[in-house]
Amino acid sequence: MNVATLTRQNPTVTPAVTPAVPHPADAPPLSKRVRASPRWLLQRLALGLTLLFLVLPVAFLLATSFKSRDEVLSGYFFPLAPTWLNWRTLLSVAPLHLNLLNSLLVALLALFITLAIAVPAVYAVVKLRHGQRLAGWLLSSYLSPPVVALLPLFFVWRQAGLTNSTFGLALVDGLSNVPVAFWLLRGFFKQVPLALDEAAWLEGVGPWKTLWRVNLPLIWPGLTATAIICLILSYNEFLFASVLNSRPDLRTITVAISLFEGERVVNFGQMAAASLLGIAPVYALALWFQKHLIGGLGAAATLEHTRRQP
Amino acid sequence: MLGPAALGLALVAGLPLVYTLALALSQSTLGRPLAAWVGLAQFRHLLGDGVFLETLLRTGLYAVPSSLVQLALGLGLALLLQGVRQGRWLRSLILLPLMTPPVLVGVAWKLLLAPAGGLFNGWLLHLGVLDAPLSVLGSDTWALPAVMLADTWQWLPFVVILCLAALQTLPSDVHEAARLEGASELNVFVHISLPQLAPSLLGIFLLREVMALKTFDVVYILTAGGPGRSTTLASYEIWKTGLHNFDIGLAAAQTLLFSLFVGLVTWPVLKALQWVERRTG
Repeated sequence: MNVATLTRQNPTVTPAVTPAVPHPADAPPLSKRVRASPRWLLQRLALGLTLLFLVLPVAFLLATSFKSRDEVLSGYFFPLAPTWLNWRTLLSVAPLHLNLLNSLLVALLALFITLAIAVPAVYAVVKLRHGQRLAGWLLSSYLSPPVVALLPLFFVWRQAGLTNSTFGLALVDGLSNVPVAFWLLRGFFKQVPLALDEAAWLEGVGPWKTLWRVNLPLIWPGLTATAIICLILSYNEFLFASVLNSRPDLRTITVAISLFEGERVVNFGQMAAASLLGIAPVYALALWFQKHLIGGLGAAATLEHTRRQP
Repeated sequence: MLGPAALGLALVAGLPLVYTLALALSQSTLGRPLAAWVGLAQFRHLLGDGVFLETLLRTGLYAVPSSLVQLALGLGLALLLQGVRQGRWLRSLILLPLMTPPVLVGVAWKLLLAPAGGLFNGWLLHLGVLDAPLSVLGSDTWALPAVMLADTWQWLPFVVILCLAALQTLPSDVHEAARLEGASELNVFVHISLPQLAPSLLGIFLLREVMALKTFDVVYILTAGGPGRSTTLASYEIWKTGLHNFDIGLAAAQTLLFSLFVGLVTWPVLKALQWVERRTG
């Protein structure tokens, strides 16, 4: 019996957020048997190369951020004469701390909008069995590229006075993340046995209260994973942010850094430092919640298929 | 409980669709949308000169191969990672590219691939593979593969995580039985695991394909669609037509053709997914 089957029968939902990689305990002791064989070496080599590939771009950003204007052109990995200059002058080039603040504000506000819409909708679809068609529409709307909505939303938002506004951008991000949150949350809500809800309803507890008191406490880890993913999606968003909030004091960090490009002389060292500043919040969030994230992504991906297996 | 979701969907999906249709059939400027009715003129223009059709084709030829490569690499890596004991720190590291803002992925790869001072050229020149710096992003041949490379860097971890999760759902008893019967590991994988994984793998491919079709940020930062039009993918072209050349009506017409194209490219995968799921019950 595999872990996913166990998860389904177990009324507590915690196994869903165990890391997607099998624990050493349930993995076959393959590595022990074949250690130091050519196959084991090949495996290590492949993993090592992949790791190098995954780390290299950000590591090079870090190294570049300590290079002087001349050294940036050297083509070496490590700076020969490391300097703090790029970091010290960072905020004098652009008000990146304000851009960072804008990004965080938009992401938090968008998260609130997403969850306020997606959580009740998922509950209605999964537990009350309403609105299956809406669920289908919601998911298929995710297929369409964001650029499709760009021009119409720009005109409508401008008409409504929502361009160059933190709330306006958060509304777009929040609404466009609803399908993602819906998809992830659906898996988690399905893991809460319907019997629990039915018991509550029989006691005369309304659906809203059942959602709040019975379901949310049980899917807390899944909700956290969903929230982190939505936060990161909004924080990383660039297209709408660049078009809707073009006023300098409202720019988000991704837009601000993209404008480094526009200048005639690009100072690579400074750009690297700015990029690292922009990356730092998401990395901190991802590392802090990494267990939730991997479990959440994995659970969402496999639940649909495991459910069908006998 | 469904009200807000329906309203939100109408606002970000329904309204834009209707509005785009209206824009596509009329002449507009940024200041005055829907100024005059032009009928199907913009569609005739788009279908007539073939430039946009080429962009659509290029977008498909970008999205499908890069998703396939990522799926193959991701599955391979997931299989490798499965047997690794100290996977914990590996798993944290692997998450990071996925979380990086695509704009900054673009910046990082731009620095790596820069002709002057980039690590790629630095190493290849040092090793004597290259005699003169190669401007990867300025080359007709290499610019699109470079965009794919940056895209793969960002999304390979995602595919690996999803493949690992899919591998975890495989029932182990069948495998053990097959192994006891003397089936080789390759045989077990091809004849038992792969068919069981098929729905998950197709699902992952669909997800990646849809996301690859949307690619905008990396192109914007890395190449701005160039050199020439060699990396002009559909999203970038629409953005350029609408918000750079301010030809709103034409951009709207392009948008509709692009939506149609996305449907066309994803439809066979959706059908295949449904077929596989029906077959495996």
